[in-house]
Parts: sequence; C-alpha cells; structure tokens
Amino acid sequence: MLIHKQDLSLSTFCHIGGLCAEDQDVMARVAPFITPHLADLTEDFYAVLLTDEQTAPYLKDRIDTLKKTHLMWMNDLFSGNYDEAFIKRQEKIGDVHVKVRVPPLFVAASMCFLRAAIPPIINQNVPDATESSSAVASLMRLLDLCQFLIDRKYSEALMDNLGISPALLVRLQTLKTT
Amino acid sequence: MRAEMLTSILAELNSSSADIEASAVVSTDGLMMAALLPSNMDEDRVGAMSAALLSLGDRTAKELARGTLEQVLIKGDNGYILMTYAGSDAVLTVMAKSQAKLGLIFLDVKRAAESLSKVI
Repeated sequence: MLIHKQDLSLSTFCHIGGLCAEDQDVMARVAPFITPHLADLTEDFYAVLLTDEQTAPYLKDRIDTLKKTHLMWMNDLFSGNYDEAFIKRQEKIGDVHVKVRVPPLFVAASMCFLRAAIPPIINQNVPDATESSSAVASLMRLLDLCQFLIDRKYSEALMDNLGISPALLVRLQTLKTT
Repeated sequence: MRAEMLTSILAELNSSSADIEASAVVSTDGLMMAALLPSNMDEDRVGAMSAALLSLGDRTAKELARGTLEQVLIKGDNGYILMTYAGSDAVLTVMAKSQAKLGLIFLDVKRAAESLSKVI
C-alpha cells in the first residue's frame, strides 16, 4: 500500500506527506463511527454548492447522481484500503472532472469544505481522543493525496493540449516574473 | 565542446544577415543549450517560451490539419521572432528586425537548424 516506486511524484508526495500503513489502520478502525454520518455530510456539502452561483449550474439535473457518487467516494476514503486500485479511482475522478470541464477551483474549494467539515464529525463520534486525533491527521493526508491526484489530471490535460512535457510545464510554472 | 559548436553555428547565422539580432537553441523541454542574446534578455524565459510556443504551434498545426510544423512566426512592432525545430529535440529561435527580408532569413534559419540538428 502507498508504495509507488514507479511513480516518482506520487512516491515523493507520500514520503513527505507521511502517508503510511498506519493511516490505513486508523481509518479502518474509525470507519464504523464515521460512515453513518457521511450521507448527512453529503447533503450539507451539496447544499453549500447549490448556494454558489459558480458551482450551482454544474449540478443542474444531476444532483442525485452526484450525491451518490460523492457518498461512495467518502466511504472509500474511510475504507482503510489505499492500494493501487484506490489511486486509480482518484485518477479516474480527475479524468472525469477534466472531461466534464469542472474548473480546478471547485476541487480546491470542495476539499477545503471537507477539511473543515469532517474533523468535527470524527471528534464527536470516535470515543478515544487519541484515536480521533490520529484519524483527523490521516484524513488530512488522504484528502491532500486525493487532491494531488485529481490536480495532476488537470496538469496532464494542460500538457496534452499544449503539447508540452512535464519538465517544460514546471519550467513555465517557475519562471521569474518580470 | 558541443555548446561551443552550437554557439558557433548561431554566430554564423547572426552574421549572415544584418537583420538578425539574436538567436538561441533550446531543448524541447525549454532548457537553453546555446544563445547569442542581448544581455537584457532572460535566457530562462526565452528558452521556456520558445519551447512552449513551438509545441503549441506543433499541436495547432496537427489539430487544424496543417501537416507537419515548419515554423512559428511572431510579428511585433519591433520585429519578428521565428521558431523552428532543430532536429526533433531542439528549437531554434531567431529574432529579426521589423524591416527584415523574411524569405532570406527563412533560408538562413533552415540551414542553421540543419547544422544544429547534426551537432545535437
């Protein structure tokens, strides 16, 4: 789990972010306390998205499907199994976001919402305070991992559309401003 | 050694026409390989922008069914910027004056690109 020697960027991300087997174990242990609350959290999340004039149009006519997909994704977050298949599922989510033209801003904003909304649920429902604290830390790492994998798909789409290499993308991103 | 040979080809190109003001050869990743640029120009910027523009030109030519890319030409008030492949892994960028005779410059640039590709 979470060892990606073939994928250097992901390997560096996991190494520096401190993602390890313990994250799997903690999330699996707290899952029974948290998953019953994820449906309500999904409702809250979409209620916020519907109040924003930029995100609301993207939800039109398919909100029930999106809620179902989002709930599945959140249950996956608490599965305690972050193997290659989990990584591929996050990448697929990134591909779909690109395909249906969801702006990267929405991903960042959504992750921000979840980083704020899930820890209180963990703190209120996991009986052991030490376990709860560890679970929040693991959750933060996992959300960052998901965002990294999704964001990377936007970068890949940009590189593909411009015909540029990863090295050139980094060069362009880090040019000194005039 | 290779950098000196590349610079020598650029020097020859620059001296082939009084209208050529500067030139550089850059990897397709945007890394500067050799350059004869005015001191006020940032080599990193020239490198990255040249590689990006040629890549985009390449992609656009294919997308719009224009075939294999030969060159990208930019015209501004103060002159031209011409970019072309020097082999498959490098880009030759040339800056020319606004009154430059482009036909002659195209020829010189094509020759220089061929010479550069042999060195690269």
